[in-house]
Amino acid sequence: MSDQKWRTVGRRGLLRVGLALPLTAPALISARGETPVKIGIIDPLTGGLSALAVTEVEGAKYAVAQVNAKGGILGRQVELLVEDSANDVGTGVQKARKLIERDKVDVILGDVNSAISLAIAQVTSELKVFHIVLGGHTDAITGPGCTWNVFRVCNTTTMDTAAITETLVKKFGKKFFFITPDYAYGHSLQDGFVKRLKALGGSYDGNMLPIEATDFSATLIKARAYKPDVLLNNMGGAAQIACMKQIVQFGMQKQAALGGALFELESAQSVPPEAQSGWWVMEWWWDRPELPGVKEFVAGIQKATGKTATARHWMGHVGIHSVRLAAEKAKSLAGPAMAKAMEGMVLPPEIALQPGKVYYRAGDHQLMSPILTGEMHPPPAGKSKADIFTVHQVVDGEKAAGTVAETGCKMVHPA
Amino acid sequence: MLQLVLFNVTNGLIIGAFYVLMALGLSMILNLSNVINFAHGTFLALGGYLAYVMIPYTGYWLALLLAPIAAAVIGFAVERFMIRRVYDRDPVYSLLLTFGLAFMIQDGARFIWGAQPLPLTIPDVMQQPLSEDLFFVTYYRLFMMAIVAVTVVGLFAFLRYTRLGVRIRAGTLDLDTVSVLGVNVRLLRSLNFGVGIFLAGLSGVLAAGQNSLNPTMGDGLLMPSFIAIIVGGVGSLGGTLAGGLIIGVASALTTVFFPEASDAVMYVIMALVLLVRPRGLFGEEGMLT
Repeated sequence: MSDQKWRTVGRRGLLRVGLALPLTAPALISARGETPVKIGIIDPLTGGLSALAVTEVEGAKYAVAQVNAKGGILGRQVELLVEDSANDVGTGVQKARKLIERDKVDVILGDVNSAISLAIAQVTSELKVFHIVLGGHTDAITGPGCTWNVFRVCNTTTMDTAAITETLVKKFGKKFFFITPDYAYGHSLQDGFVKRLKALGGSYDGNMLPIEATDFSATLIKARAYKPDVLLNNMGGAAQIACMKQIVQFGMQKQAALGGALFELESAQSVPPEAQSGWWVMEWWWDRPELPGVKEFVAGIQKATGKTATARHWMGHVGIHSVRLAAEKAKSLAGPAMAKAMEGMVLPPEIALQPGKVYYRAGDHQLMSPILTGEMHPPPAGKSKADIFTVHQVVDGEKAAGTVAETGCKMVHPA
Repeated sequence: MLQLVLFNVTNGLIIGAFYVLMALGLSMILNLSNVINFAHGTFLALGGYLAYVMIPYTGYWLALLLAPIAAAVIGFAVERFMIRRVYDRDPVYSLLLTFGLAFMIQDGARFIWGAQPLPLTIPDVMQQPLSEDLFFVTYYRLFMMAIVAVTVVGLFAFLRYTRLGVRIRAGTLDLDTVSVLGVNVRLLRSLNFGVGIFLAGLSGVLAAGQNSLNPTMGDGLLMPSFIAIIVGGVGSLGGTLAGGLIIGVASALTTVFFPEASDAVMYVIMALVLLVRPRGLFGEEGMLT
């Protein structure tokens, strides 16, 4: 039957179809939703920061599923392309170029590692691709190294150190000893602490150690000799866990108060209960059901991953929804248009999952979000294993960040 | 100041002892099979994970013994089915194979146990320092030193006084002749690889008690172990022992006075040794050629 039909289509018929196709093709493509919006995410899925990277990607995937369920971005489904930077700057840059030049992504997200974030930002800026740094904290990203196309969700190190330094000084004293990773994040973080500590009349000593350090005994001997009021563990990921374990095994928590900027849930859950102590910053905390959307988000992440939602899940979630909101406002996926749309954009409460006004500051592209400071402790009897932090203070993000002029950012938009 | 230096020399010996434990296994495999086992660090992590799985059922002490044995059995199988196939080829093949194997084991661990570091809890009594003054000598670190001492003595006795050990030593010097004399060289290499991985697994269980148990935990320990072998001299287990202790002490002292160079100092020592005595401090000329 069908053979018969084909035979009846003559030369003229074929010509008519051929002529009609170019006219109807755009409408046909539009009708099937066109190609997906491609978002590339680069994170160190292997290496010492992998636990943080994995949850950040999980948060992004969760948000992509939400966005796609509601029709995608500009009517197109979203496809998330995940690449591993292996905690290495060269690999991160290579993956950014691969995502942009070969996979033709519209947007780049990442990286947890600050040094990699900075390096990727150079690539995205050169290739004019919209870029959101989800979890690389070093000041330079939205400070002296800021670029028109790069926005950041997590706090700057200045914000985190401004939020906690005064608390540590007031509670424990002015003599600090830092254990800090020797790369962009660590330098920026310690500089922030030192600046505030000096302003409060404090003194300090410390060691800068390789980012993947495993043994802290020599540093702890030095710290003990210094007799600090506060011992700050600024390491990240696996190194921070090893450091906390060794601090507790050496009994150092009895000699000095423990604290620092970030001791994230991923890491804090991986140490023995006696090492779950000290005063720290949390950029987002799951146990705040009074805030709009938090309960649903925590339940959604639990269902999707089997885990309690962490700040990294939140960063991935905010990053994806920020892309959606910027594209919808700009009605475009072009980098310059999205960047303009995102400047000053206030996140709706169900996306921000934080109290108050949460927005991207136009002058430096930094998300202004409240900062939580509080105390780490083992989970109380009968409570969830993730119930290890009590929020004592909510610090205004903008106040902690300082002015745009203070960040050193001089934003230049493309002509 | 003197006290600080003395503390750090002692501390360096403890750190170095741990490098020795890992380096000995690496060195045994290198000496007999001419294979630079890049997967050694991941076998270390595997030992830690196996202990993590066993502890709820066996308790810590039995897991400390059983997990390295289980890692050794896996190592034995890996040698038989993978490593063995590249012995007669250019050393680059074994390098590439073990490099790829490392990624496979790492990803396997990540798939099974996740990327998030896991808590491997050691008995409470081990977590205490010896005294207020010697706060950096915990019972756990002392226990680790004892394990290393027993292992080193046991290994040297095994290599000197048992038939299998003598064959391994002989094979290190001239494998062809050992083969001509009727020794099953294939089995010898498999057993030797298994013993090497046993030591990696043991290092893994011990390291997980004070570091973080994660798929890449062995990466940071692999390079010091290689350096210990090169400094001590390829082919010499005594040299490996000396090399491990030297870089441990150097690293600890540098951490106090110039922490940014605490890793680099190991490479500087290696470079100096290679310049002055290319075979290493106790190595024999012609090894690995």
